[in-house]
Amino acid sequence: MAGSVLVSSITAGAVYALIALGFVLIHKGTGVVHFGYGDQVTFGAYLVLIGQAFIGLRFDVAVAGALIASVLLGAIIYLAFMWPLRNASLLARIIASLALGTVLREFLRSYMGPNAWPFPFLLSSTSVPVGGVLIVPANLAIVGVAIAVLVALYLIFDRTIYGKAILAACENSTGASLVGVHVSTVFLLIWILASVLATVAGILVAPLLTLSPDMGLIGIKGFTAAVLGGFNSLPGAVAGGIALGILEALAGTYVSSALKDMISYAILIAVILVRPQGLFGELTLKEV
Amino acid sequence: MTVRLLFGAAVLVIFFAAPHFLAEFQLFQVCLIAATALVVLGIVVVTGIAGQISLAQAAFVGLGGYGPAILAARYGVPVWAGIMITAVVVGAVGYALGQLTLRVSGHYLALATMAFTAIVQLAFIHSDAVTGGAVGMQMPTLEISGKTFASGGTLYYVVLPVVGVLFLAVHNLIHSPVGRAFAAIRQSETAAAAMGIDVLAHKSAAFAASGFLGAIGGGLLGLLSTYLDPSQFGITQAVYYLAVAVVGGMQFPLGAIVGSAVFVLVPEFLQAFQTYLGLVFALLLLVFIVLRPNGLVSLASDLLRVVGGKQQRGAA
Repeated sequence: MAGSVLVSSITAGAVYALIALGFVLIHKGTGVVHFGYGDQVTFGAYLVLIGQAFIGLRFDVAVAGALIASVLLGAIIYLAFMWPLRNASLLARIIASLALGTVLREFLRSYMGPNAWPFPFLLSSTSVPVGGVLIVPANLAIVGVAIAVLVALYLIFDRTIYGKAILAACENSTGASLVGVHVSTVFLLIWILASVLATVAGILVAPLLTLSPDMGLIGIKGFTAAVLGGFNSLPGAVAGGIALGILEALAGTYVSSALKDMISYAILIAVILVRPQGLFGELTLKEV
Repeated sequence: MTVRLLFGAAVLVIFFAAPHFLAEFQLFQVCLIAATALVVLGIVVVTGIAGQISLAQAAFVGLGGYGPAILAARYGVPVWAGIMITAVVVGAVGYALGQLTLRVSGHYLALATMAFTAIVQLAFIHSDAVTGGAVGMQMPTLEISGKTFASGGTLYYVVLPVVGVLFLAVHNLIHSPVGRAFAAIRQSETAAAAMGIDVLAHKSAAFAASGFLGAIGGGLLGLLSTYLDPSQFGITQAVYYLAVAVVGGMQFPLGAIVGSAVFVLVPEFLQAFQTYLGLVFALLLLVFIVLRPNGLVSLASDLLRVVGGKQQRGAA
């Protein structure tokens, strides 16, 4: 009992972690918190669906097409909205990212209908007993991909010159451009990378959740995971996601499943108030 | 002074003449615009003037609707009294939420207020015994000294005066020392604090005002729709109110009215495109925040400046 609760909560946690990684990537890389990211995840899954059901592509070809389309989407988001707003107020940028998410969600609602669509698993969804605990390969894939993405991003940011360039561009764009970093190219790449990551997350997550235009509300769980992890820390995002998954499973089992979501939002507010640097992050002080 | 008197007289004449020229349904729409504008006025105060982003407005509206409905159903409190009691309580809730701003701003404030809205909506959905759960609950009919106000034609005489008085109050607030302190905080908290402004108290007061206005607006919207549906008080709706404020012009009370008129009337003209309505609103928000972040009202004042032949200054 405890074992299977743990395994299912880790799957949910890996979903949150995957979305949280996207938030952290965009925030660490460009300094923007993208409030429409959850909707971008949904949109990615729908891209596969559109390729399959309306163009008649095979599933694997549709997945490849969706990944290519999401490269374009990321480029459009940066070039058409985030670049023109680079000097706008924080308020305007927050509202713009909310608006982007709403546009994606309402686009899906208008053209794909408000109802849920069936979405196939990439891997088998039949469970295999391993040592008394049922393991589902499709769920294992989510955990695996989350960890792989984490490792890849961690290596890029911490071990390569490109990662240093990204961090420099975000920290001080004037300074970075003075030492030869092409800041707008760096930001463009970040947005494209985040967009592809959103589509990957969407494809993995859609069969688990219900694929409807409102699936993007999962984004707030991704936020909570990112906040738990400190918002700038990649390993923190994954740890925060897993922690949130386990907390929710415990709350659902021992308190009430109706209160599960409320508890995770309350955690969000509490962490923001008490430990804004997250459970694992370092405190950065604002100097006056 | 005479200009003001004339303006006031004209407003009164239009107010009493309009019911003779407009159909019942049009009066209903006027009420809808006014009540929505009141909700959005809350965003104008807290976000437009005081500069604190808030996605809590949908929760305030929901509380403002459920409060009087529950008070009437459980304790037999008259609806008008219920709306006032609830608005004061929600104002206090807003003040408490404003205390968050001591430690939180920017992104995290947007997140925290978003989580607040989500929690309140879930509370509506899961407190079946009190709120009717996901199905929602009936909003009781407004009765004042034996008269019932149930239709657009009768509610007109309640909604418009209430909204008018509150707009006047906010107009005065903005031009008072408190309002100027709000604006100072928006421009620079550090500078405002250096001038001796109690930043936290003012930010909390702005949140309290937005809660109060949102709750009254929510009560009036409940009276107009006669039914409270918990799906109407979520994050999506919070973004909708923000969109109304942005399109109208977030820094001006007039913007709340202009934005509400656009968002209430556009669906009438686009009846053939009902499915695309959400997309149209979302695109409006996106286009305005990128190209015209100060909304339609600023567009109008710029046009007036051009027509007036004054030299236009470069975009600030």
